[in-house]
Amino acid sequence: MTRLARTSVWPGVALAGGVLVACLLVSLAFGPASLSLGEVWHFVTTGPVHGDLPNAIFWQIRLPRVLVACLVGAELAVAGVILQDLFLNPLTDPYVTGVSSGAALGATIGIVLHLSNLPWMAVLALIGGFLTLGVVWMAARRRGRIDIFVLLLAGVTISYLASALVTVLMIRANQDMYAIVYWLMGSFSGRGWPDVEIALVAVPFMIAPLFFAKEMDILLQGEKRALELGVEVERTKRVLLVTAGVLTAIAVSVSGIIGFVGLVVPHIVRLLVGPAHRSLLPVSLLLGASMMGIADLLSRTVIAPNEIPVGVVTTFVGAPLFVYLLRRGRKG
Amino acid sequence: MSTTRTRRGLAAVITLTALILAVAGALPLAGCGSSSSSGGEASPAASASSGPITVTDGAGTTFTMDQPATRIVSLAPANTEIAYAIGAGDKMVAGTSYDDYPAAAKSLPKIGDFSTPNVEKIASFQPDLVLAAGGIQDKLRSKLEKLGMKVYVVDPKSYDGVMTDITNLGQLTGSTAQAQQVADAMQKAKDDVQSKVAALSRPATFLEIYGKPLMTAGAGTFINDMIGIAGGDNIGATAGSGFPNFSTEVLFKDDPAVYIADSGSMSKPGDITKRAGFDVLTAVKEGHVYVIDDNLIARPGPRLAAGLLELVKMIHPEAASTP
Repeated sequence: MTRLARTSVWPGVALAGGVLVACLLVSLAFGPASLSLGEVWHFVTTGPVHGDLPNAIFWQIRLPRVLVACLVGAELAVAGVILQDLFLNPLTDPYVTGVSSGAALGATIGIVLHLSNLPWMAVLALIGGFLTLGVVWMAARRRGRIDIFVLLLAGVTISYLASALVTVLMIRANQDMYAIVYWLMGSFSGRGWPDVEIALVAVPFMIAPLFFAKEMDILLQGEKRALELGVEVERTKRVLLVTAGVLTAIAVSVSGIIGFVGLVVPHIVRLLVGPAHRSLLPVSLLLGASMMGIADLLSRTVIAPNEIPVGVVTTFVGAPLFVYLLRRGRKG
Repeated sequence: MSTTRTRRGLAAVITLTALILAVAGALPLAGCGSSSSSGGEASPAASASSGPITVTDGAGTTFTMDQPATRIVSLAPANTEIAYAIGAGDKMVAGTSYDDYPAAAKSLPKIGDFSTPNVEKIASFQPDLVLAAGGIQDKLRSKLEKLGMKVYVVDPKSYDGVMTDITNLGQLTGSTAQAQQVADAMQKAKDDVQSKVAALSRPATFLEIYGKPLMTAGAGTFINDMIGIAGGDNIGATAGSGFPNFSTEVLFKDDPAVYIADSGSMSKPGDITKRAGFDVLTAVKEGHVYVIDDNLIARPGPRLAAGLLELVKMIHPEAASTP
């Protein structure tokens, strides 16, 4: 703990920032429409030009898509860190709180009611996400305290319930089945500037947990110990849970459900920089964004003009990396 | 208890015996009828029982029916359309929840929907012929055949393939002549369209099956075939077979001159010209963005002829107006 506290945060954050910049550049430079690097540079310097087709490929198609992917990656990674450490459970990912299933249910209702255009889908997904968070919250509240284990169980249960409702809707509104299935699979295909705007709403919620880094460190030792050390445990839990819920709901509302990033990025980062949150949070944010950016780059280029579902790519890229780091971490 | 059961058993035996007697008695009577009376009843009987019918279906399976089907269950709206178009509507005993054309099909008993047909429910109608679709219904075939039904899979890969299915179903249902008329009308639509567009250039055409994520009609689909017949160059054919998803970036790079979006129960494309960045596409700039009723191009049935005429109006408006 003391060793970690003395180590400076900045080298790790700067390195992760460098990785993200590199990932952004690569993601923007390459795509199925094979613009040359010179062209891309030209578009960057000239800005969006109305009516020019290659320029529109870069400014209207590629750039917003890359930004949405990176933002969603960052949101899921930060939510993953918060929830894993709050639940003290390494298998936790942003989807266990029921928020994502609730958001999926909201979006499914949107599809069935044929409101599948922005901002309706996002609004309904957010409402669904928040409602489930509310229900889970009520279930876990005992005499002004949030029981973390009840919260986890209630979250998983509500998750199943929401998924069952999605399935029922899918069968009842059979003609919308494709739309629902594709939405649930998660994708950044066709995402544009309106989606970027929604994903950007999450930025304050990505930064907020940084102010609770010390409290989160202490909470790792258990709620009782944290109380003894003077941490306002209930308030911290409330803020963090709502933050993670908002991040998950926003991410799901623009991209659908994309697995693995929120589970594995926090673990990878813990292996790299340790468990102290003032490093863990910002580095997870940056590497989550990088990983999703690269995953989406692969998803749209490898079998172009077709696309691989991005959730498949995150798993293919993340799983070997994670296993390698786990083995390396053991040896060290 | 035991006496009631015995009594019921006895009743069943008596009923069964009575039935057998009645059927056995009816047979010589029918034989008598055909020999004594002339014309009327005999001629349909003769055309109907002209020996076993052998066909090969869309899954490549060849099978034989001893006589034309009399009880048909359809597992896809397109199959129902074909059955009614060829005059076998009166032999339909059940269809799917999505059968909406022709109007008469709506009142048919339902076996469930297209993707989750219920085997028990199908069997309860005691059909002698089941008209299935390819893909998700493949697994059904062996189950239905074990129950003694003949299964014809309608899974055409081209416009001509639909005509073949129609004439085959004509044979299986004993309405060869009317089926041939339907196929001839489809052939005529195709010939007309082809002669109109023969000398014209082939504009790059994109057909949107679904908007988010973007999906198109790839090679080996009857929609791809129809775009070709209507004188277009289908961009989707570069993306593989079936109904593949398609990169938006590549769509922009290929820059279609004609953009056609499928619209109906499966997809609601909205205003395509207002999508982000779409204003730079040639199709949008020159006003060649169209929405087509998916019933006319996505259902492999007789209405594809109308779909083909719609497609040529979109791809070659200049040729479509000339007689």
